[in-house]
Amino acid sequence: MLVIRPLQETDLDALYDMAQNAGKGLTTLPADRALLERKIQHARDTFNQRCAPEAGLYLFALEDTELKRCVGISGIQARVGLDEVFYNYRLSVTVNASRELGVHVRTPTLQLSNDMTDTTEICSLLLSDSHRGGGNGLLLSRCRFMYLDSFRKHFSEKVFAEMRGVSDKHGRSPLWDALGSQFFDMEFSEADMLSGLGNKSFIAELMPKYPIYVPMLPDAARAVIGKVHDNTAPALRMLQAEGFNFNGLVDIFDGGPVVEAFVHNIRTVRESISRHVLISHKQMDLSLPASERVMVSNVSFRDFRVTTIPVECIGPDTVTLSKEVADILLVESGDQVHLAPLKDTISKTHVPGGARYGKPDR
Amino acid sequence: MWLVRPIEMDDLQGVLGISGEQGAKLSSTLPKQEDALAAKIGHSTRSFADKLKNGESARFLFVLQDTATGKIHGVAGIDARAGNGQPFYNYRRDALIHASHELGVSRRVEVLYPSHALTDTSLLCAFAIDPELKGTDAFELLSRTRLMFIAEHREWFSSRMVVEIQGVQTSHGEVPFWDSLGRHFFDMDFETADQYSGLLSKTFIAELMPPNPIYVTLLSSAAREALGHPHELASPTYELLQHEGFSAGCYVDIFDAGPVLEARTDCLRTVVTSRRAILHGSPADTGDICLISAGSGEDFRCTLTPLGETLKNEIRVPVSTWKCLECSSGDDVRVAPL
Repeated sequence: MLVIRPLQETDLDALYDMAQNAGKGLTTLPADRALLERKIQHARDTFNQRCAPEAGLYLFALEDTELKRCVGISGIQARVGLDEVFYNYRLSVTVNASRELGVHVRTPTLQLSNDMTDTTEICSLLLSDSHRGGGNGLLLSRCRFMYLDSFRKHFSEKVFAEMRGVSDKHGRSPLWDALGSQFFDMEFSEADMLSGLGNKSFIAELMPKYPIYVPMLPDAARAVIGKVHDNTAPALRMLQAEGFNFNGLVDIFDGGPVVEAFVHNIRTVRESISRHVLISHKQMDLSLPASERVMVSNVSFRDFRVTTIPVECIGPDTVTLSKEVADILLVESGDQVHLAPLKDTISKTHVPGGARYGKPDR
Repeated sequence: MWLVRPIEMDDLQGVLGISGEQGAKLSSTLPKQEDALAAKIGHSTRSFADKLKNGESARFLFVLQDTATGKIHGVAGIDARAGNGQPFYNYRRDALIHASHELGVSRRVEVLYPSHALTDTSLLCAFAIDPELKGTDAFELLSRTRLMFIAEHREWFSSRMVVEIQGVQTSHGEVPFWDSLGRHFFDMDFETADQYSGLLSKTFIAELMPPNPIYVTLLSSAAREALGHPHELASPTYELLQHEGFSAGCYVDIFDAGPVLEARTDCLRTVVTSRRAILHGSPADTGDICLISAGSGEDFRCTLTPLGETLKNEIRVPVSTWKCLECSSGDDVRVAPL
């Protein structure tokens, strides 16, 4: 069985392996043991409420209960830009027009901005190759929205994700080559690595502060502004299906887009329902395809758990869980759990009591 | 003899002939259109006569004439106040240090800032001469007459002088700096923009020019190389002006990035070395060739003459020079060595 739980110290080796295999471009999780250890510690402190919830880093592990091993990770940074400066370029437009000459020229510009400061970011999604498919990526990503929903007061109303921008197989980014490298004598991969190590704002201090006129950049660089890396296209589609949209900001290094959504508009949040647990002694068929399963989570801030169960388990007021699943979710009979669709294609007819599908009172 | 005098309406066709032969750059101060040029001549005439309309600032145009044939061989101008009451646009080359102590890096970043700082300085402009005369005494006469005029009418001009030198242009007429920068915003070729700049008010520059500073490193390499470099055809002018005391500072032209030369008016060689003297006749054409000017305002004349001196601040010049200057013995003149 696969279950989402808070990341813990024992996940370090697995996390390091995954970060190493991920290669370049995953800014928030570089393969650096000391850094990963610090991140895990930060996450532990967050879940154990040893730091302010607003300053928290919520990292979730996807655990394979048979292997007893972490096979994926995803995260929420409660606020960005609080103790360092968070930079993006805003893709903007300047119009120069002369009525006298009949000239009207639109010039796209990149303006350095700190607009995402104090906003919640979803980040650090990584899934081991061995566990790709079967809705595991969806579970890993969407479990965060269930958490956001349950503990909204700790997060901003709007959440965003920075999508990886275009780079070639050697890790060269056309935008970095045309822009960043002109100001900072460094390869993209190196700059990206440094920024993952927490030096991003230092680098940003070296970047141009005045607006960049996009037509002055070479074609190759212009073409990648606001575009995602091929490997990130599925993640972008997934977030778009959740209701995330490009917000006009791009990464200052590789030009990857920033997508955002208001928490109350996120599909997982809108479609989640809550039920009381009813424990049954029957075994549950957990090998169903993703489209026939739903996510189920407890409502614990500290010991958050999410797994998937067949959609048939949902009743009008209750959800029926096997003892095994209930134990994994750390719930008992009568406890409240949240349920949300795992796959986009779930239809209401799958849910008994579909008439009540939607936001319950709570 | 070569004579430089204030432009008159009758010189219109002659000046059109000169300006037509010149490259694009000139048009910003000397239009190729007849009516526009006529307006400039009218403005110049009012300036020399000190009869400017309310709010007008003085713009002087001089012509180089061969007194034997009456033909016009060149034209040169001074704007008493650069911009003529409107902003005078330049880019100022400046540098920023992008440094990070934490990362141990420090990098010099060159930036072009839009600037109006040279507005209201006095501007030497509209210089055009018969190509055959380039580098000759007549060339020097035409250019330096303006400084003789300034020396004579010092109070009409500002304490700082500037000259825009034509920037780099390929033999096909392409201007690398324009192609890398201005073209994106003005949506027109260099020649058109330059023409507009001469014909229209400068408002269109304010409307179309990018308002923010430009990072030099983002310009094309050809544009970067052109930055602050004079057109090769402009080098005689450049050298003459350097000799006169002008030097390139941090300003460049917004269209072609040609250098803007600057000087303190009171330090210019002609202003310093020219002096007043009393005119007397000389029977022979002997002595060093000097610049000599006489008259003021609309009667101002300047020519070249062999010159003999006496100890009593009197100068002896041939009678032909008197005639050329429309002077007679005992008149005050100004002389400067060539």
